[in-house]
Amino acid sequence: MSVLAVSNLAKRYHRGGKPFAAVDDVSFEIGPAETLALAGPSGSGKSTIARLVLRLIEPDAGRIDFEDSDFLALSGAALRARRARIQMVFQDPLAAFNPRATVARVLDDPLRIHGIASRAERPRRIAALLERVGLDAGLAAHAIHEISGGQRQRVAIARAIATRPSLIVLDEAVSALDVSVRGQILELLLDLQRRERIAYLFISHDLGVIRAVAHRVIILDAGRIAESGDARAVVTNPQSAIGKALVAATPKLIRNRP
Amino acid sequence: MSRLRRFFGTPEAIAGAAILALLIVMALAAPLLFPGDPQAIAGPALLPPFQDWSLPLGTDRLGRDVLAELFHGARTSLAVGLAAAAAALLIGAVVGTLAGFAGGLIDEVLMRITDAFQTVPSFLLALAFVSIVGPSLGVVVAAIALGAWTGPARVARAEVLSIRERDYVAGARVIGMHPLEIAFHEVLPNALPPVLALSSVIVAAAILTEAALSFLGLGDPNRVTWGGMIAEGRTVLRTAPFLSVVPGIALVLTVLGVYLAGEGVVESTAVRRSLS
Ligand SMILES: Nc1ncnc2c1ncn2[C@@H]1O[C@H](COP(=O)(O)OP(=O)(O)OP(=O)(O)O)[C@@H](O)[C@H]1O
Ligand SMILES: [Mg+2]
Repeated sequence: MSVLAVSNLAKRYHRGGKPFAAVDDVSFEIGPAETLALAGPSGSGKSTIARLVLRLIEPDAGRIDFEDSDFLALSGAALRARRARIQMVFQDPLAAFNPRATVARVLDDPLRIHGIASRAERPRRIAALLERVGLDAGLAAHAIHEISGGQRQRVAIARAIATRPSLIVLDEAVSALDVSVRGQILELLLDLQRRERIAYLFISHDLGVIRAVAHRVIILDAGRIAESGDARAVVTNPQSAIGKALVAATPKLIRNRP
Repeated sequence: MSRLRRFFGTPEAIAGAAILALLIVMALAAPLLFPGDPQAIAGPALLPPFQDWSLPLGTDRLGRDVLAELFHGARTSLAVGLAAAAAALLIGAVVGTLAGFAGGLIDEVLMRITDAFQTVPSFLLALAFVSIVGPSLGVVVAAIALGAWTGPARVARAEVLSIRERDYVAGARVIGMHPLEIAFHEVLPNALPPVLALSSVIVAAAILTEAALSFLGLGDPNRVTWGGMIAEGRTVLRTAPFLSVVPGIALVLTVLGVYLAGEGVVESTAVRRSLS
């Protein structure tokens, strides 16, 4: 049983007229309540994999099974309905929301679209979601641009869990936050995973963070998997050249943090 | 209201706003000050201005009150200008958003149609449309809008092309939002500011086009229009030049006022944006 199974995924782009593989023959699985991290240098294909898995772009080859059914076979209304189960949190929480939106509308949309709560019931649901991510329910009336970056990322997490997903893709979701806020957000993510058994595809270039939150890690290099395995084992003793280089670039203090 | 203060910061914007305000007052006051039919005969024909104080601007070739005609003409100019511009902006925004957001074949087809409309001079298009369908206020509005929506469509499409790559559009897809809702609820409102910046130019052009159509006798015959007044006066241009000059000045001032006020709005928002 797996939440997500990706096999032989490939995506090509053109650069200067020549085709190159942004993602090349990538396969992995994520189990329920598991965190799989994707690490790798800039341009190694992490975000491309995230967008493929979310069906924001289409692969050139490969297979994606989500909750044991062919995710690539879905289209139109069936795909939109299925999206309730696989959500995303972006790196920049300001860019991830409509600049005109309020907190309430951002959380209202998924509840309305997936028919999770009636119109009369939704304000209560929104308040409960805000409290679930550690925010004051009174924040609902605020515009997105009025609240702090950390609060915004909590709202993004509240929106992602609104439809009770089994998998959340986090693309550098804590990278833009300052260190103290980052710790609180990671704590929230771990708590949600424990209680609601959500799996994470956790993209980060920070091996210290990966070691702290991920069960397994895949290290990518130019679109291919260079190495994968238990997160602690890979971070303490990388085998691939790119893995060694990434670890060497991470300060020792962070690397050995429990 | 620092926005208002900034708008009134330039003398051009103040002049534009004053002219527009006067025009709006004229249009609204016309049925109160001149309750009768402005096309009815009010006195002796070709009475010069400032002779009889019950007919301050005199009368035309048929003895109609020029001042009453001027006020009622303001109504027509303003109504047609605003309605045509609103229709053009609406059509343009919808077409541009669909083209930019859908991409591919839909974009290709819509933009070829836009090209086709843009190649035909908009005045000829309006002329042909009114000659075929027949002159009435609604037809004139449609005819003018038909030639004016391509600019807004192009601006909207360009803006949508950049907005659709933003994270929040991807976010809307991730939560399962319908593509049409994304296009019109998430993307379009954020693409509007540069489209609306075109409105003053479009309103001014629409007022001029309406006057030109009326001048050629293709305006609504049941409405007083400044273009129609100029055409009427042309037949007696040597003996009573004021009959053409008065509505001509009104027309020029109106177009200038709309343009200046529009520029003022664009400028005050541009300042705000570059400050933020
Ligand atoms: N739409 C696109 N068109 C062309 N090339 C693209 C496109 N999207 C991504 N690429 C290229 O694909 C490669 C992988 O990009 P991707 O964004 O997945 O990298 P990443 O691992 O997320 O990098 P980063 O750590 O900088 O976010 C890069 O070389 C990028 O330039
Ligand atoms: Mg990336």
